[in-house]
Amino acid sequence: MAKVAREMVERAGVNVDQLLELLVKNAAAELTTYYYYTILRVNLIGLDGEGIKEIAEVARIEDRNHFEALVPRIYELGGKLPNCMKEFHDTSACPPANLPKGPRDIKAMLQTLVEAERCAVRGYTHICNLTAGKDHRTYDLALAILNEEIEHESWFSEFLGEGPSGHFMRHGETSPFVSKFLK
Amino acid sequence: MREITLDELRTADGREGRPAWIGYGGRVYDVTGSFLWKGGVHEARHAAGRDLTAELEDAPHGVEFVERFPMVGRLITKGGST
Repeated sequence: MAKVAREMVERAGVNVDQLLELLVKNAAAELTTYYYYTILRVNLIGLDGEGIKEIAEVARIEDRNHFEALVPRIYELGGKLPNCMKEFHDTSACPPANLPKGPRDIKAMLQTLVEAERCAVRGYTHICNLTAGKDHRTYDLALAILNEEIEHESWFSEFLGEGPSGHFMRHGETSPFVSKFLK
Repeated sequence: MREITLDELRTADGREGRPAWIGYGGRVYDVTGSFLWKGGVHEARHAAGRDLTAELEDAPHGVEFVERFPMVGRLITKGGST
């Protein structure tokens, strides 16, 4: 644990235990999403599915990166991950992104994907709001993740016909915002 | 519509198998089955069994997330409905 780092955050008025619970819940959301997106990606097939497979894969890998980036901050602040994987799954900040009943229903798949991203956008916005000007390191991390989650949301939203995302998909390395926390 | 007092609402805190109800805008909603309200707590900050009208103002979502749950009744205080 980074004792003084935690103390600074506490002195700034942040309820660190509550923040840790949120960080663990969001770490659970990232890792479980990585798992559920694996199943979704496998089922994105055919003429319509293949077009979405690559962005689903990028979102999947970046969500795993988010999990990896969150874990050190949890331990720095004196928190820990649950020993039990099932408990960890059930504590997730977002509902499971289950494969729709009609796994060839591409629109239903996209709805599942976009809802998962929207849940994440809400969650990291909330963490940013709680830590802004108080816990600079957690804020920086949550903001980096938020940037990527917003891009994921806009990609899937575009495929649903809700309007242009405004940018291209990734070329080359993943996690342009979060990668600095992974080095 | 069923009338629910604050005392009655407090007993539906979602713990130890009890139902999880929340108050919002003078109405009471049943969030028992929600993945995001397991154990009667939402996002580590919001507890079931209470009127969350004020807390929702700071939430990163709107009232539509509350209104999608089944409504149990109308929340009343000593002086009448809230």
